[in-house]
Amino acid sequence: MLRTIIAGLKARTARLVLSSVAIALGVAFVTGTLVLGDAMTASLRDELAKEARNVDVSVTVSGESSSPDEVQGISPETLAKIRQTPGVAGADARGSHSVPLVAANGKAKPAWAVPLASNERLREFDLVDGRYPAEADEIAVDKRTAATAKLTIGQPVVLLGKEDERHEFTLVGTYQQGTNQLVLGGFDHVGLTPEGFASLEPERPPYQVVAVAAAGFTQQQVLDNVRQAIGDSGFRLQTGEQLTEEALARVERQSGEFTTLLLAFAIIALVVAAMVIYNTFTILVAQRTRELALMRCVGASRSQVFRGVLAEALVMGLAASVIGLLGGIGVSALLQQVIFSFGDSGGEGTVQLPVTAMTVLAAFAVGTLVTVLAAVLPARKATRVAPVAALRSQPDSGEEVARTGLLRVLTAVLFAVVGVGAIVLGLGMENDDAAMFTSGAGTMALLVSVVVLGPLLVGPVNRVLGAVPRALLGVPAKLASANAGRNPKRTAATTAALMIGVTIVSLVTVVANSAKETVNAEIDQRMPADYTVTSAVYDRPLPEELAEQLAAVPEVAKVAPTTVVYGDQGYFTGVPKDAVGDLFRPTVTSGSLADLRDGTMAVNAEFAKRQGASVGSTVTVDPGEGEPQDLKVVAVVEGQGLSDGIMTIETSMRFPQAAEGYESILVKLEDGVANGRAAVEKVTDPSPLAVLDSAAETKEQLNQQLNQVLTFIWALIGLAVVIALFGIANTLTLSVLERTRESALLRALGLTRGQLRLMLVVESVLMALMGAAIGLSLGIGFGWVLTRALSNDNFSVDLVVPFGQIGVMLAGAVVAAVLAAALPARRAARTSVVAGMAEA
Amino acid sequence: MSALVSDVGTRTAVAAANLVKVYGKGDTAVRALDGVSVAFAAGKFTAIMGPSGSGKSTLMHCLAGLDNVDGGSVHVGGTEITSLGDKELTKLRRDRVGFVFQAFNLLPTLTAEANILLGLELAGRKPDREWFDTIVDVLGLRDRLKHKPTELSGGQQQRVACARALVARPDVVFADEPTGNLDSRSGAEVLDFLRMSVRKLGQTVIMVTHDPVAASYADRVVLLADGHLAGEIDNPTADSVLAALKHLGA
Repeated sequence: MLRTIIAGLKARTARLVLSSVAIALGVAFVTGTLVLGDAMTASLRDELAKEARNVDVSVTVSGESSSPDEVQGISPETLAKIRQTPGVAGADARGSHSVPLVAANGKAKPAWAVPLASNERLREFDLVDGRYPAEADEIAVDKRTAATAKLTIGQPVVLLGKEDERHEFTLVGTYQQGTNQLVLGGFDHVGLTPEGFASLEPERPPYQVVAVAAAGFTQQQVLDNVRQAIGDSGFRLQTGEQLTEEALARVERQSGEFTTLLLAFAIIALVVAAMVIYNTFTILVAQRTRELALMRCVGASRSQVFRGVLAEALVMGLAASVIGLLGGIGVSALLQQVIFSFGDSGGEGTVQLPVTAMTVLAAFAVGTLVTVLAAVLPARKATRVAPVAALRSQPDSGEEVARTGLLRVLTAVLFAVVGVGAIVLGLGMENDDAAMFTSGAGTMALLVSVVVLGPLLVGPVNRVLGAVPRALLGVPAKLASANAGRNPKRTAATTAALMIGVTIVSLVTVVANSAKETVNAEIDQRMPADYTVTSAVYDRPLPEELAEQLAAVPEVAKVAPTTVVYGDQGYFTGVPKDAVGDLFRPTVTSGSLADLRDGTMAVNAEFAKRQGASVGSTVTVDPGEGEPQDLKVVAVVEGQGLSDGIMTIETSMRFPQAAEGYESILVKLEDGVANGRAAVEKVTDPSPLAVLDSAAETKEQLNQQLNQVLTFIWALIGLAVVIALFGIANTLTLSVLERTRESALLRALGLTRGQLRLMLVVESVLMALMGAAIGLSLGIGFGWVLTRALSNDNFSVDLVVPFGQIGVMLAGAVVAAVLAAALPARRAARTSVVAGMAEA
Repeated sequence: MSALVSDVGTRTAVAAANLVKVYGKGDTAVRALDGVSVAFAAGKFTAIMGPSGSGKSTLMHCLAGLDNVDGGSVHVGGTEITSLGDKELTKLRRDRVGFVFQAFNLLPTLTAEANILLGLELAGRKPDREWFDTIVDVLGLRDRLKHKPTELSGGQQQRVACARALVARPDVVFADEPTGNLDSRSGAEVLDFLRMSVRKLGQTVIMVTHDPVAASYADRVVLLADGHLAGEIDNPTADSVLAALKHLGA
């Protein structure tokens, strides 16, 4: 039996290679995503491990006690006490705050400043270039920050302290902030000596001290000593071990979401790959029915034949799994490069490829187990046929076109009912997250239902889609359409893989674009001004002179500064009275904005609902510092992205926060001004904090971010689509082999080689379009469901169908289908008529 | 009837001169056709016979332009076809040649009617409805037109194939063992129809067979052995064919 199996494998190399490619691709995707997830976790772990590196004892401000003598930070005295504690070899304070960093272009950007430990062992960062700062006027910056802010060693670096005073430092080195480039985004980062750090904001003491133990002391001993030295109240003491544990727990939380997302993609890939593998084996075994029957006739037992088929699947699955595993590691490396190029690390980063036992197991489970399982059903079917009947049968597997069973319809209906139920339930939910989850699960159940119903859908969809090529391309297209519909089960299984991929891609694209358009509309509403000047650093308001300077520019028609007040129940915006209804125009639902004057406010409808406020009632705003103010509600307004309430700017000045400066300045140009931007820039450019935004630019920025995320998802699902297209190529190749005689007959009757090729290309395109069309309809429908689920009374996401992107997707499917048909078509056209007719 | 036959009987429909076809190379080379020269008269029913391996199928394939030759020439309706490229050969098959094969003659995806009209459609020609009706009625296929091949009996399938071969009014119909897969009654029906199409409709038919009874339906039998022409029988009977085959040592 073994010899027959080996001979069989050898004889069908070409067919088996094709099927192996499908398996290997599936395995590659699953392992690729798993390795990527592990790499991200590992890099986060590295990052946080650095934080705890060499730390034996950590002292943090607990911030728990609410007593008046609450410890606000760690005083120099406390640090000195810790340093003198027996067993402490070295101790350093840690802290961080956001500080405006002035880049080479003169503009400020937010950066995290940290003190660099005086004890070398306690430093969290690894030096890349130059040296660590030794003097208070020296600075080191993160490698990425140096690149993006265009800073070079030896140059001066300016940070803005309190009151925007300029602190100048000399750049002496760059360091690597760990390997967390895999975490998208990230802040600019600068390191100073403890003295330099303290000079920026002297009244903000550090919140942590880390210490390293002297030789011969255990962590616990040092901890006890420190506790004795500084006392227990207001401090939280931890050993280095505890700190590490805490850090690792944080890793799991942070990387969890992303790995879940990746796992979802892996599962999609797995399902798609399994379908392709199953389909391939069904066809392979169906074609071999006669061969298997012959073996039965010469004395092979049913179980021998059955085991033979399974052994073949096992060999194939194992081989493909190994190839797929290696390929998956490559996929992961590739995806990491993609992520690096998205972040601002300039495409740099360390590719990590941790391969865990879990990954290897998953690879073999997918590749081998799925393959063997996929072979079981067709093998059973093949061995159940009486040997003589099988020998007599035509190799055309048209006979297996069974009528769609009742069981199939019932299963589909069951899934559909569950799906629709979940969607309806989800749409009725108040909570956005729960609604998304429930409705999302409902849509997936519907997808399963459609997949199960597939063979029933093939007929009608094929008739509709085939109409155009039939009319345009004549007989070959007519034959192709007939071929695509001749075995609905096979066509359904082939196209289902593509359908799933396209459904997910279009779903994500539709939801993302809907969200984008909604936010764009919101920006339009919020920014009726031509330009908005905001601060580059979130907690540094703009100076009041800036508004005066802008108002003085001849091209500027009107200027409206806004302030912000953070109260205990919400945050409120202060706007000049004359800007209301002009540069600032929310929709009024009750009351009148004309009544907005000193001591009154208009509240957001949502806030009103939450706080039970209405026109005529009084709202107390308590900003924490300064006196709480009672403001009378004169209007209820609504609008997307609105703060909780609006007051006049004079009213807002009652609060110390707003008095510090402006949150933003709205600028409206004179009508017909040509280069208004240049005129405004003349004022904003010298100010390091001022950032000039137009609605168009804000939208652009937002769209860029969104497109990055979309690209990433397209790339991931793209892999699933590639597997699906291989499935089409596979099915087509096997069908061509099966129909050799038929092709020869057609050639004998006068079908040219070109027409034969055209016929196969059209068949391939029809199958791809079937998958894409159903997938798109489902994706857009599901997209609508999810936008409904996301919407609530105050925030409505409107369905936006990105026809351009969908066009690209369809065109891509057609091109890929043509490519998928290329090889089988060549093969079919090359076979001579006589040889084809002779084929059994 | 006989006047019609003698009228066209003088013209040659298909002719081969010094035809050579070699399979394989070197030591294993087999000369399937070794200098065969034969002419087939238009409006006649000719059977090509011979023992297994005699080259009869190869001869038919070469005559029909389905296979290329290694020497000699083939004329179909006055056109020399051995020098034609694939495109011209395809066009020739479309317009001037009809085929009936032993089995698997029909496309399983098309109805009987669509199968009959397939060749015309490929050629982009409009079917002659009257002619189509005549053929369908003669073959008794009227109530089978909407059926798929799997719903037809073997005999019905072969009759559909015959209808397809005739509907385009080709110069010549090649039939390769058309009754090989049929029971004797269905086989007789098909052979009757082929003979009738020659006698009544003036069609030219060249049939490959190894069955002396089938050959007896023809006007003339051409005998082939080891790639050589080995005799001819005019107005054959099953007995005379059998005797000739015995003589060949088959």
